[in-house]
Amino acid sequence: MINKIMIVDDSPVARRMLKTSIPKNKGYEIFEAVNGQDGIEKFKSLKPDVIFMDLTMPILDGYKATEEIKKIDNNAIIIVTTADVQPKSIATVMELGAFTLLKKPAKAKSITEALDKAEQKLKKKTKG
Amino acid sequence: MTEKKKICTAEEIEVLQELMNIAFGNATADLAEVIDIYVVLNVPEINMVNAGDLPTHLKSAIDARSESGIVQQKFWGDFNGSGLLVFPRGGGKDLLNLLDENKSTYYENTPIATLEKGVFLEVANILIGACVGKFSELLETFVTYSPPQFVHGDSEEFKLLINHFDSTQTAIIMKTVFQFDKKNITGLLLLITNEESIGWLRSALKEFMEDYE
Repeated sequence: MINKIMIVDDSPVARRMLKTSIPKNKGYEIFEAVNGQDGIEKFKSLKPDVIFMDLTMPILDGYKATEEIKKIDNNAIIIVTTADVQPKSIATVMELGAFTLLKKPAKAKSITEALDKAEQKLKKKTKG
Repeated sequence: MTEKKKICTAEEIEVLQELMNIAFGNATADLAEVIDIYVVLNVPEINMVNAGDLPTHLKSAIDARSESGIVQQKFWGDFNGSGLLVFPRGGGKDLLNLLDENKSTYYENTPIATLEKGVFLEVANILIGACVGKFSELLETFVTYSPPQFVHGDSEEFKLLINHFDSTQTAIIMKTVFQFDKKNITGLLLLITNEESIGWLRSALKEFMEDYE
């Protein structure tokens, strides 16, 4: 079951847009990180069930952060939310182990669908 | 440089930055559909400068990429201004190879400078058009464009572009730096708008963010 969600994005506007589009009736606890490095550190301490990850960020980008987080926990569920929808960017981040990718600005419907899919994955993991 | 008026709040600048990020990201995906190239993106910057200081501001941005070629494309509508794409001069040779891997006769018989100019115009047309187009779409308006035009930093056309902005006004510069992967070409995209658009822009930004309250 998803309890904790972490949003990793350098843009406060992007974090706000995403935060307000996440369903409010599920009681998710939402945390924020301001770049990839902050995301890795908060991943270690908060252990979020799902991470929304931007790609283009200062200090540490979303590619490296995804790679590092997957090294720490290969089962980590990382939903990439990005404006960079070039085929190579999508292929690269999926190869790094992203769960799925949402094009910015992500709509509430696609966010809910991605979270439902993540929920199913977590249920399977718990049963297994 | 003279003191600039604050025509946007810090929050409006943050929204502009995110919209520019989305718009340019979409533009690069459009470019990748036409040319087999990968564009490495950076976080966009938003600056407000007095239009009278634009020549100095642009010159410093462009001079940092010495021997630059500039493509300008104007756009009109609620959102009114100019897009500038700045490339290092000479970088077009690498891009040419991507556009014509088979080295057609046309390419063999045309001077390299003309070919470079052509490839820059085409890339600029896609990037500026798609970026401004996405930006306008997000803010629920539409714009029309002039054809892209190649200008030199010291030319009359460049002076005309600068003079298009009332020197007593404040201009908003949305800037993003990008690299063409494996091609050693760093480019710069600038979208410049002025106070004529600001009333509409502020109200459009407010409406856009109302969906996220």
